[in-house]
Amino acid sequence: MELYNKSAAELSAMLKNKECSAVEITESVMSRAEAVDGDVNAYITLCKESALEKAKAVDAAIAEGKELGALAGIPIGIKDNISTKGIKTTCASKMLENYEPPFNATVIDRVNANDMVITGKLNMDEFAMGSSTENSYFKKTLNPHGLDRVPGGSSGGSAAAVAARECIVALGSDTGGSIRQPASYCGVIGLKPTYSSVSRYGLVAFASSLDQIGPLGTSVKDVAMLQSAICGYDKMDATSAYRDYPDFAALLSTDVTGLKIGIPEEYYGEGIDAAVKTSVMNAVRELEKKGAVVKNISLPSTSYAINAYYIISSAEASSNLARFDGVKYGYRAEDYDSLVDMYEKTRSEGFGDEVKRRIMLGTFVLSSGYYDAYYKTAKLLQRKIKQEFADAFSEVDVIITPTAPSKAFRIGENTDNPLKMYAADVCTVPINIAGLPAMSIPCGDDNGMPLGMQIIGKDFSEQTLFNTAYAYENIMGGNLCKMPEIK
Amino acid sequence: MNIDIKYISKLARIKIEDDKFEKFEKDMQSIVDMVENLPEINEELTIDRNNAMKLREDVAETNKFTRAELMKNAPMVQAGCLVVPKTVE
Repeated sequence: MELYNKSAAELSAMLKNKECSAVEITESVMSRAEAVDGDVNAYITLCKESALEKAKAVDAAIAEGKELGALAGIPIGIKDNISTKGIKTTCASKMLENYEPPFNATVIDRVNANDMVITGKLNMDEFAMGSSTENSYFKKTLNPHGLDRVPGGSSGGSAAAVAARECIVALGSDTGGSIRQPASYCGVIGLKPTYSSVSRYGLVAFASSLDQIGPLGTSVKDVAMLQSAICGYDKMDATSAYRDYPDFAALLSTDVTGLKIGIPEEYYGEGIDAAVKTSVMNAVRELEKKGAVVKNISLPSTSYAINAYYIISSAEASSNLARFDGVKYGYRAEDYDSLVDMYEKTRSEGFGDEVKRRIMLGTFVLSSGYYDAYYKTAKLLQRKIKQEFADAFSEVDVIITPTAPSKAFRIGENTDNPLKMYAADVCTVPINIAGLPAMSIPCGDDNGMPLGMQIIGKDFSEQTLFNTAYAYENIMGGNLCKMPEIK
Repeated sequence: MNIDIKYISKLARIKIEDDKFEKFEKDMQSIVDMVENLPEINEELTIDRNNAMKLREDVAETNKFTRAELMKNAPMVQAGCLVVPKTVE
């Protein structure tokens, strides 16, 4: 088997046993990316030279007998809204087409401290606003399992690159489903960690109270290892939680005896494809056979969550994106006759349509006379949704739902209809609203296109999510992420 | 509720081109119609006392960036300053 088709845990063991070198791993992944990215279009920037340089340094350290971490030498792709010093960080926007951050995001410092090899920067919906990666200013990423379909979004490049084995693991960001929904569409594993567990310092802000960086990979263990590497308190992020985290991968267990699984009826109703419901429930039954206990529950405010999400996230986006004014960094319009004219032309030319819609919606809901009706009500609803989840978690350990209502849709299918596009996130946004951790793992397919199930836990219960996913992965023979044919 | 695109675009400093205006207005109105479907909740917002945030000590730190590094990405720089159109006549 080619090195690029192995998991981080396998490669790590091979490196330790001197069965391969870090350079060989990076070369294998880079050749794979060069061979298939012409079709998949996952990368905005491929960092071949710096990746090989880093791999050489890892090999040298190994030769010197230095004790390196489990992720040393593992190639990792980074979503292009995570700041990388000296490497363009575009947010897939014309606004930041040539922007090179003068600093690293905290997660990048941690990736470097773990001696991982950064392969490049991955495509996304512009400023992480979208569900298909079709809102990228640069290119459309295609789904490796069916090139006529979207990879999902906004971390579509991250999910597609992992699925196509153009990197071993990747980092994405998730504001309303942007790691889990593309993971589901591309048949890989993705975690949206508990809000505040991973530092947001250096993540270009979309909706600061909902944004969270998280890992994607092709095995539960890989995702657990990467989460351990990136989580933890960071003084540079004022919302960062002050607490210790376990070594998730070391504590993985397939024992689900007595695990209480909640099935909320609201996530299995109208608008969710029959194939999705069947696949998810089949997976739940498998866990039940191994000793898990299944219980029906209710989360009554679910149908309102998407409305609260668009109000809160757009309000924060309108404020966060006010910084793009053509003065300090980024794009500036060429012709203007005053300061205000420069702002307006810069922002009108620099932002794409979806970003404009979100900024406008956010400006509207925060404008004088509308604040109480929209923003305040949405924040009150957020509290209610959080309480409903808290009540549910007094009875169950995890909640299992579909990750997305259907398999990946076709390129262009929803681009003319924002509301249809927003509906792709109906199962994932409530989790961001509540700040909870959730992961998507593959649980079957619909005519060859992957389907995902979402495992939701209470705050900081990542270990329980990993163990539930690990148990299912084990039941299914140890590999949930099929290698796509790319055609 | 109706959204006044001309007014909001002025607040947001975003111009919508004439040929795109009609479609944009229609899309925005459908989004507003969607999000305004909210339940009535007669409560007041309060501070979350379970929040695990910890404020850092108020200690002065030396800026780790040079002026040149910070201005490297600016669209227009002159004599170490950001250049903008004249704002005072």
